[in-house]
Amino acid sequence: MKDLLRLKTSLTEEIETLLNEQIKVEAHSSAVYLAMSSWCDRNGFDCSAKYFQKQSGEEREHMLKLFNYVSDLGGRAVSPEITNIPQEFESFRSVFEQALQQEIYVTQQFNRMAARCMKASDFVTFQFIQWFLEEQIEEEYVARRALELFDVIGEEGTGRYEIDKRVPKIKYHK
Amino acid sequence: MGTAANTLSEIFRTEYGAVFQCNRYNVYWIEFAGGFSSFKFNDFFHLKQTLETIDVKEMAQNPARFADVVVLNPLCSDRCFVLTLTDVLNFRELLQGAKAMMELNSIIYESLHAMAV
Repeated sequence: MKDLLRLKTSLTEEIETLLNEQIKVEAHSSAVYLAMSSWCDRNGFDCSAKYFQKQSGEEREHMLKLFNYVSDLGGRAVSPEITNIPQEFESFRSVFEQALQQEIYVTQQFNRMAARCMKASDFVTFQFIQWFLEEQIEEEYVARRALELFDVIGEEGTGRYEIDKRVPKIKYHK
Repeated sequence: MGTAANTLSEIFRTEYGAVFQCNRYNVYWIEFAGGFSSFKFNDFFHLKQTLETIDVKEMAQNPARFADVVVLNPLCSDRCFVLTLTDVLNFRELLQGAKAMMELNSIIYESLHAMAV
C-alpha cells in the first residue's frame, strides 16, 4: 500500500503540533514586546521603546521562520490566536525582568522541542531548531545585560535616563 | 466507489465503520453511519482533529437537549455528520485507529525500502 502519509508531509503529527505551539509562543512574545514598547513610549523611555519594537519584529521573524518550515515540509501551519497581552507594567525595571523571563521560557521551549525531536528521530527538525537555540544565547544575554544595568547604573537621579540610553547599545559578541 | 473499487485498501475497521485508502486518487474513504465519502489528506486530518476537540465530558454532563448531539460539516465534503455522544467516541476510535495504521504503514514502507545499513 502506498505511503500517503509520508507522500504528503515529512512531519509527524506530534512534531507538527509542537512546531505550531512554538509559532504561538513566538507570536505571543512579539505581541508582548510591542506592549512593552508602548509602555516605555508612554513613560518617556524613548530608546527602550525602539529597542522593544525591534525585538518584537525579530520575534515575528522567528515565528515566520517556523511557520514557513511547517508549510515547506507539507504540514499544516496554524496562524495563532494571541490573547492576554499585558499592557501595563509595574515599573521600568519590571519590564526588563519580564522580558528576560520570556526569553528564558522560549529557550526552555526549544530545549524541550529538541529533546522530543531527538526521541522521535526527527533529525531534520532537530537540525532546524539548532539555529533558534543558538539565537537564544544572544537573546538571553541581551535581556540579562539590560536588567543588570539597573544594578550597575542605579535608578536614582538620572539613572533611569542613562539606562534607557544604554539599552539599545548592548551587543552580543560571538 | 465505482471504478476505483479495486484501488481501495482497507486501513482500519471497527464494528461501526471503516477507513479505506484510494491508491489511485490518493484520498481516504470513510464508511460511517450509513454513508461512504472521500476525503483528501488534509481534510481527513482536519476532521480527525475536529473530532478530538469535541468536549465529550460536557456533552455527558450538560442536561440541555442541544448538548446531546454535535453537527460536523467537514471541509470540502457534502457530507454532514450528526453525532451523539457514543457516535463521537466510535468515530474517534475509527479515525484514530486509521491514523495509527497509516503510521504503521509508513514504518513498514520505510523498513521495506531502506537500504541495508
